[in-house]
Amino acid sequence: MSDQAWLVTLAVVLGGAGTSLLLPHRQGTTKARTAHFVGGILSILFAVVTLWLLRPTPGVLSGLFFYLFAASSVLGAVLMVTSVNPVHSALWFAAVVLATTGLFVLAGAQFLAASTVIIYAGAIIVTFLFVIMLAQSRGTALYDRTARFPSRATVSCFALLWALLYSLVMVGGREGEAGTRPTGEPGLVRMGRMVDAAGQQHPEQVAAVLSQAVPQRSRLSENEEGVLPGVGPRHVAGLGGTLFTDHLISVQVAGVLLFIALVGAAAIATPKLPVRPRPGLRD
Amino acid sequence: MASEPFGFDLLTSYLILGAALLALGMLGFLTRRNLIVMFLSAEMMLQGVSLTLVGFGRYHGTWTGQVLTIMILTVAACEAAIALVLVLVLYNRRHSLDVSLWQDIRDPGQPPVVDRPEEAEPLEPSRGPETYPQLTTAGIEPAHPSLSTTERRD
Repeated sequence: MSDQAWLVTLAVVLGGAGTSLLLPHRQGTTKARTAHFVGGILSILFAVVTLWLLRPTPGVLSGLFFYLFAASSVLGAVLMVTSVNPVHSALWFAAVVLATTGLFVLAGAQFLAASTVIIYAGAIIVTFLFVIMLAQSRGTALYDRTARFPSRATVSCFALLWALLYSLVMVGGREGEAGTRPTGEPGLVRMGRMVDAAGQQHPEQVAAVLSQAVPQRSRLSENEEGVLPGVGPRHVAGLGGTLFTDHLISVQVAGVLLFIALVGAAAIATPKLPVRPRPGLRD
Repeated sequence: MASEPFGFDLLTSYLILGAALLALGMLGFLTRRNLIVMFLSAEMMLQGVSLTLVGFGRYHGTWTGQVLTIMILTVAACEAAIALVLVLVLYNRRHSLDVSLWQDIRDPGQPPVVDRPEEAEPLEPSRGPETYPQLTTAGIEPAHPSLSTTERRD
């Protein structure tokens, strides 16, 4: 196997061992504190090896922020899954969401980052915390301190992670690796330019259909090298332009879904006593 | 940042992070028995998928990835509302957030999942009132140095 594949295997083994040590269950006669310490070290090594697999942009500041957000999302995820107290789990999930939001900003999706912070970290997590406060478990209950089949679950989930990471690192991109780069010129990766180039090679009817497939409004406003020129007001206007024209039906269906969820939640949360006929009353 | 080209290696990095979040969320969903933590793990799987979608959308130069992520956000909000209401209803029935209490709605004929306290993580005993900080009772003047009250300067 190649270098990248060995790194992937190492990452998965470290992650599996660290997470299964951190999960809440009794580790034989080992003290919980020792198991947590060793599991924590292994999880940090898992995060380090996973970061070693990443190849962010060569810019210093953006690469630094990318590594920062990536590390906090992976470590926050491990800590969220293995926390005994459910309030701690909810707070680590908030940290994961904020790290993911940072990665959205690095990918040029600023509106999505802002709306994710507002909706996820602002509304959904607060609702979770309210429900946890109502249930008042505090992490001392038996069902919080027990993990269900931790070894089987760890093996299967990290086998899935190994399969995903292996197929991601083995498909091209790095020098001297087995695998194929995406064929074609780099500029043709962009959907818009691929459609334009295909449209020029074919007769006019096919070109007309192809130009309707990926119209100008559904393309990011990039320049020739695939760089988004600025982060000005064009961003939200462009997103709105494609959202309400190309995906109008989806938006309407999402609105109906929200309404149904609202009505359903209100109906389920306020149970009424059933109306029973009085005994002795006959029609 | 957005002012740099989004190459294949950066896309692979986003996909790796999305895969990691998905696998860890799946681990939390399968392992934990608290209803709320199970649901939080499912939400984390959705976050991993959102990262993948945003990466692909930026790589191919279309808005579609971000639009699909907005749909995921909407569906996750609806799902959170209804799931938490259902969790509250279930909690009102049994006064516990344990999902093993509802095993009888599985397929019939499955072996029951039994709770074994010796497999649980040992509970750290919380320190009692003897470790609380000792404060002076209100109304009792604490001991002063030998200066009288007229000569003290504080």
